[in-house]
Amino acid sequence: MSKLNPNYEASKWRKIERFVNGEEISDNPNLSKHEEEIREASQEDKERNEQFEATITDLEDRIQKERKRSIEALYRKYEKWPQTKGIKIFTHIYRILAVLFCVCIISVLLMTVSYLPTFGDASNPNNNEVPKRYIEKGIEETGAINFVAGMILDYRAFDTLGESHVLFIAACCVLILLRIDHSKNGKKPTEKAEAEEDDRKFEPKNDKILQKIASLLIPPIIIYGIYVVLNGHLSPGGGFSGGAIIGAGLILYLNAFGYEKIEKFFTYKTYQRITVGALLFYACAKSYSFYTGANHLESGIPKGIPGNILSSGLILPLNVAVGLVVACTMYGFYTLFRKGGM
Amino acid sequence: MIEWIQFILGAIFILGGLIVAGIATFGIFKLKFVLNRMHAAALNDTLAILLVLFGLIILNGWNFGSLKLLLIIVFLWFASPVSSHLLARLEVTTNKKLKEECEVVE
Repeated sequence: MSKLNPNYEASKWRKIERFVNGEEISDNPNLSKHEEEIREASQEDKERNEQFEATITDLEDRIQKERKRSIEALYRKYEKWPQTKGIKIFTHIYRILAVLFCVCIISVLLMTVSYLPTFGDASNPNNNEVPKRYIEKGIEETGAINFVAGMILDYRAFDTLGESHVLFIAACCVLILLRIDHSKNGKKPTEKAEAEEDDRKFEPKNDKILQKIASLLIPPIIIYGIYVVLNGHLSPGGGFSGGAIIGAGLILYLNAFGYEKIEKFFTYKTYQRITVGALLFYACAKSYSFYTGANHLESGIPKGIPGNILSSGLILPLNVAVGLVVACTMYGFYTLFRKGGM
Repeated sequence: MIEWIQFILGAIFILGGLIVAGIATFGIFKLKFVLNRMHAAALNDTLAILLVLFGLIILNGWNFGSLKLLLIIVFLWFASPVSSHLLARLEVTTNKKLKEECEVVE
């Protein structure tokens, strides 16, 4: 459509277009005038429409303002609702739900307990040939009166080796995370930085009451720990529990007398040597079963009479090794978690 | 006859220990400040344990087990007062509002 032509309405093309569109074709020149009238009328309509729309938008604005006002009033009304009434309702619901939850868990657990086999019943699944063998031939084969020690340090000594390695690896990880490196760049840190890292220097002077009591209690504690370790094959106890007792004694000594005194006999170097040496001894003593197809073999050490302290072959030295590792790990954990390290 | 006396004495001691422990627990929850609570807990540490273990010794009779129980009493009576003393000292050094909570003798 060429809008450039001013006489477009009267042109031939326009006529043909009208004819195609099916409009009435007339050569009446008044037509254009008529159209102008119509246009004017529509313009008036438009103006009226605009006015109308303006009034409508005005009204809508008013309505929205009203709405806003009412919502604000609502907010004002319920602003403190959560702090007063809401929290009451919440606590009620919370308590009811908590009680229901606890009851559900308790009932599930009690149902499980009721399905458990009766304690000590002869037909229980754990009464098979394995404990029978331990009970009947345990003393004869391992020489230990304490079956548990015979089990964990003779029949299943390899398993216990893994357990002591777990302790060792845990201590190593803590060491990696928490140890202070004093010579990072090859130069010594200043005194202030050292004091910030090492708050041993800020610790108050130790208590006299604690020191008196500690000097009374520590010897019995450590002697009792040694007794538990050495009697591992005769009575309940053994390397793990005895080592924990010795470690607790060391921690008490550290707390009572401070680092300066304990470093006279227990430093980081002794810790390293004891743990690595004990684990190496254990590994050497028991790794022969690697090469013999994990069979239970004679250790070469005489079993002795069951019931004596010096009996049951390798169990006693293995107990000592485990006890040393556990004691050092306990003490190491405690010192590493304090600022200043071991 | 002697067995009955032994049983009744032991039961009385153990029950007394339980009552003392109950009072101590009540005190721990009732009192508001740390040092007061420690005062209540000390009852549990010493008297309740002494009574219960003494009752057990009476029930057990005179043998090696009783000696071990006696050793436990001695150990606890040495250890727990000292530990609560240290805790109290820590509280005194770290609590800034201590003078509001209780009277402090300088």
